Amino acid sequence: MEEFFASLYEWFGLNPLFSTDMGDQLRGWDITCTDYIGTPWYVIIGWSMIAVTAVLYALQYHIIDSSRWKNKTHWWLFALIIVILNFLIAFLIPYNSIQAGDYCNQLNLSVSDCIGFGLSNAVWSFILFIIITTIPVFRKLSNNCRHTTFWKP
Amino acid sequence: MARLYIFAIGGTGSRVLKSLTMLLASGVKPNSEKNFEIVPIIIDPHKSNKDLKRTERLLGNYQTISNEAGLDSGFFSTKITTLDRLTTSQNRLSGSFTFNLQEVGGRKFSEYIGFSQLDEPNKALADILFSGKSINKRHEEVNLLDVEMDIGFVGNPNIGSIVLNQVKDSQEFKDFASNFNEDDRVFIISSIFGGTGAAGFPTILKNIRDAMNNRNIDGKGFLQDAKIGAVTVLPYFNIEKDSDSPIQKSDFIAKTKAALYYYKDNVTGNNSINSLYYIADNYSGKPYKNDPGDNGQKNDAHFVEMASALAIIDFLETPDSDLETSEGKALKPIYKEFGIRKDSSNIKFSDLEDYTERKIAMRLSQLVLFRKYLTEHLSNAIEKEAWSNDSPEINKKFIDDTFYRTNLSEFLSSFADWLKEMSDNKRGFSPFNLDSTIEALIEGRTVKSGWFTSRVDFPSMDNKLSKQGKGKTYSSASQKLIKLFYDTTEEILTSKFGLKN
Repeated sequence: MEEFFASLYEWFGLNPLFSTDMGDQLRGWDITCTDYIGTPWYVIIGWSMIAVTAVLYALQYHIIDSSRWKNKTHWWLFALIIVILNFLIAFLIPYNSIQAGDYCNQLNLSVSDCIGFGLSNAVWSFILFIIITTIPVFRKLSNNCRHTTFWKP
Repeated sequence: MARLYIFAIGGTGSRVLKSLTMLLASGVKPNSEKNFEIVPIIIDPHKSNKDLKRTERLLGNYQTISNEAGLDSGFFSTKITTLDRLTTSQNRLSGSFTFNLQEVGGRKFSEYIGFSQLDEPNKALADILFSGKSINKRHEEVNLLDVEMDIGFVGNPNIGSIVLNQVKDSQEFKDFASNFNEDDRVFIISSIFGGTGAAGFPTILKNIRDAMNNRNIDGKGFLQDAKIGAVTVLPYFNIEKDSDSPIQKSDFIAKTKAALYYYKDNVTGNNSINSLYYIADNYSGKPYKNDPGDNGQKNDAHFVEMASALAIIDFLETPDSDLETSEGKALKPIYKEFGIRKDSSNIKFSDLEDYTERKIAMRLSQLVLFRKYLTEHLSNAIEKEAWSNDSPEINKKFIDDTFYRTNLSEFLSSFADWLKEMSDNKRGFSPFNLDSTIEALIEGRTVKSGWFTSRVDFPSMDNKLSKQGKGKTYSSASQKLIKLFYDTTEEILTSKFGLKN
């Protein structure tokens, strides 16, 4: 699973979004700089990205599920919320580690790496939201949003 | 499917038929195991009668909508057909709902009976039988024999009975007789206080019961013992005083008494009829314009006409065992009247008896809500709401097509006019606030509200429509529109307004 998420986040290339050192930190390179036995952030943030996107999808399509919240603008509003939340999650977790010095000191990590990783997470969450709302099998269960997609909201 | 042949005679016949069409369009149905196909036959010599024209147009639109939407879509789910559709004979009729009275247009009554060719004794007899005065199209006083019949019989049933006797030899009557089956029924609508209806009802009834003696027709046995119902409408409206007009309110009661006396021997007295409904109203309300027929005779719809239409529904609910006939005589003749719970000048649903309220309140409210949505909100919803985008799509092309733009829109516009006319009339029938919000639509009904219940407005209707339509399949966009709205409006009116079937 770690390799899956790692390849996902590194799909865009480690540069220019974030550095190789940030990649090692997110794979779980431990604070003693010996092995990948630290917290597997790729997996945790990857699952949280899926969870946040799924929850917000469910909120619009199945919980609110209202004719007042089924338009193109509403789809984009939810997409924006998903992107912002996932950006913040992916930005704040490594940023807090940096601020707390809670990483191998041989790694050269910066705030721009955190922003890059946040952007990567935001982009994947946006793509995931497009995919979930494109596949008819999920959205056809919605009363009011079953025709609301990225392609034809 | 068994058929109900409805003979709608004169102006009242057309107006009651119009009310029946509105009730059937809204989904009012008899509580009966049998389904009936309705075959209306309008008999009125007054071809330019606006009530007749309005009813014909309405029936045409109903037919088209019903054909497109099918018979299991709730609204428009009773089949109405023209007599010509039933026959394969070479003498096919024109496809109109109107009986074509021959040699009436532009002719005087004296010409119709060949008065000038009669010998002197017969001329003298005709003079006695048809003495008196009437008016012609130009409002000039003329002898009864000189009445021009293309504006009707102007309150003279003695003329009407002669002219309408041609019915038995007509192609329409032959087609009717040859298609009439054992399970079919006949219903005759007429008023008793005018000319055409008062004369037409006993004449048609007699021609059906005497079918065995008519050499021109098939199906005599079934016809002689047909299950026949009728509504005879007694005076129910007020009319302006006009000393120049042959129509006078003061004559209504006298004419009614005379006709009833005639019926005593020839309709009820000889058990010719299986089920006869009497309806009348002595409420002295807003007077109608005194128009003998020369100005088109367009009267506002009246509650009594709708109640008369309910007599037809009641007749269809009557079991066969109560309508048995032998050798042209009803074995258990039934006579009924209609009443309301409260003598109100403006009738609401709660003023009706329980049976009547249950019969019409839900269905009429459904059609009112359907019309309200289509006229006030549909343009905002098409191609946006899920129910509209589901296949088959209700899109802009659909609402530009003839079905929606002409047939349905025109019908629903007539439906609104009908309700407004009944509401404006006195005695009025005004159970709806047509221009209000949905929540205030039905007089005396408040929407059930609570902490967790939503308002009833157009977006909430869209929610319900989309929920109702989810996963359903429809044969066409027309069928979808009719069926989906029928189911949804029923759900809303049941859950939010507490209406019951």
